[in-house]
Amino acid sequence: MSGMTASPTSAPESQRTVIEVQDLRMVYPVPKAGAAPTVAVDGVSFQVRRGEIFGFLGPNGAGKTTTISILTTLLKPSSGSARVDGVDVLAHPHEVRRKLGLVFQRSTADEELTGRENMTIQAGLYGQSGSRVDGRITDLLTQMDLGPVGNRLVKTYSGGMRRRLELAVGMVHNPKLLFLDEPTLGLDPQGRAGFWSYIRSLREKEGITVFMTTHYLDEADQLCDRIAVIDHGKIIALGTPKELKDSIGGDTLEVSVAASAGDLTPLVSTLPGVVGVSHREDTYRLKCSNGERLVPEVVLASERAGIPVREVKVIRPTLDEVFLELTGHAYREEGGIPSPESLADGNGRSERGGRP
Amino acid sequence: MMLPMFSLIRREFIRWIRAPTWVISGLMSPILYLLLFGQAFDLGKLLPPGTPASALSSALSGAPDYFSYFAVGMVAFASVTAAMFSGTGIIFDKQLGILQRILSTPISRRSVFLSSLTFRGILTLIPAFLVVGFALLLAHVPNVAGLTVGSGVSVLDAADFLVAALVLSVAFTALFLSFGFAAQRIESYFGVVTILQLPILLTSNAMYPVSIMPSWLQYIVSVNPISLAVNVMRMSLFGTAGYPYSVAVYLAGLVGWAALFVGLALLLASRALRTDVAPNRGSALSQAIADS
Repeated sequence: MSGMTASPTSAPESQRTVIEVQDLRMVYPVPKAGAAPTVAVDGVSFQVRRGEIFGFLGPNGAGKTTTISILTTLLKPSSGSARVDGVDVLAHPHEVRRKLGLVFQRSTADEELTGRENMTIQAGLYGQSGSRVDGRITDLLTQMDLGPVGNRLVKTYSGGMRRRLELAVGMVHNPKLLFLDEPTLGLDPQGRAGFWSYIRSLREKEGITVFMTTHYLDEADQLCDRIAVIDHGKIIALGTPKELKDSIGGDTLEVSVAASAGDLTPLVSTLPGVVGVSHREDTYRLKCSNGERLVPEVVLASERAGIPVREVKVIRPTLDEVFLELTGHAYREEGGIPSPESLADGNGRSERGGRP
Repeated sequence: MMLPMFSLIRREFIRWIRAPTWVISGLMSPILYLLLFGQAFDLGKLLPPGTPASALSSALSGAPDYFSYFAVGMVAFASVTAAMFSGTGIIFDKQLGILQRILSTPISRRSVFLSSLTFRGILTLIPAFLVVGFALLLAHVPNVAGLTVGSGVSVLDAADFLVAALVLSVAFTALFLSFGFAAQRIESYFGVVTILQLPILLTSNAMYPVSIMPSWLQYIVSVNPISLAVNVMRMSLFGTAGYPYSVAVYLAGLVGWAALFVGLALLLASRALRTDVAPNRGSALSQAIADS
């Protein structure tokens, strides 16, 4: 794992860190005699800071749901420790449950009840009732654009409405920490982008910290402040999306110049930030740390040398490439759009290779 | 903290009030037994003409006629039939992930169990009362047999009747609830429950007097929880003459069964609701995780 955790100086660590995970391991028991035990989470350590959207990115089966289940006290790890808002999840699970809201991969609202009834009952499970809770439910329904359908049975809701209701149900008791397990699974790309804005608005209005898992690269890239890339139960990289992308060599500047105008290589290879230059005919590829800032300098340098620039393209690395670089294998997101089978039962794939 | 438990009961109540079909289908068998079987199968008519009414009454442990005797048995049977649906809700909650959401909140596991037992127990009592009312009503319909109750029924007798009905409901609600906690699929649940239904009914004295049974069957029948409850109910309505034991003894036996079934349900519930172990041991959570 690449160490990208900046050293905090302003606030004490205890106030800045909301989730602290130390060497977490989860080994599922042997399903059949002779079979190897499944190591779902293999020595994972990370910290989540207050107020950030922290993403656990990895393909299906990487150990994401297992990790979130441990952090939300629904599963006991084989070893290691985890603290949520300073409270040990193993020692005081009851207290941890009070602090967090949890949104599952699949819809867990009661279909035969209205959205509002689901929220009222969820609040009751946290021991909250009365007019203040009713007001909060109205606020949340409005915030999730569910105001007009709050009194309709959930079974009449669309897929997007259901996801938003899950979010509202998870927030009803005013948690400061929200766990989202694959929040946009089963939504179309438009629905996903819309859902991100609801998560962002919750973070702004409620000042919450969000821990989420996703297997969508674009979701992690656009929604998360920091990402831990997980594969086969191990965190292989951790940082902001930009840091991760920079870590594999940053941007590529593709510069096309007029035919046979001269060699650009000696002119640009000495510019600050350029780490490598290659070219094919009249197109040069510059590996550099910050492509945009380099554009004017490259253009200026070549114009001075009398080489007219036709086109400059800044190519940013994608998380796709990051994943490929770190794991040696391409990211297997399964096309981004879940198969009908996986829509039917939430995820469709077992989080750990095989079923018992 | 009662609010979390009350919230779960409220949820089940809303669900039930919007789709009360299961209670109606649970009522079907006892009502049909009263309307058809009870009308046709009058044991009294098999006696030779001229047999004194007292002879029949003593064979029926004090009941004035066979239908009255039989109707009380159907009250107990109605409870047991209604209780058969007690475990269905928890299976759906497991399958739909609702149980997992509930377990991620601070509600205690005991409250989850108790809310199910309370709500389902009350639901199980309703058909019993409906059957009593229906059978009493039939007595006023011409040419139809109905439940005739002696005039000497005291408030204390009525209380005995109620307690027996309540404890029987709790016992079978707990039994079927425990199957619900253990089962992963509705099919396997109803597989077990329907296998049990007839043997439980037929090894009781709900439909016929113990005295006409072979002795090996008598032993089984005398300890059947339905028999114990029906004994108390008949004693409270028709008098205690002819019973070898007192109301208190039968009630104690019934409470024993209820305690056993509640204990079993608690055990299976705590296994299904636990989140402090690694999965793969048949818990609801391991199933949910394996599914996701």
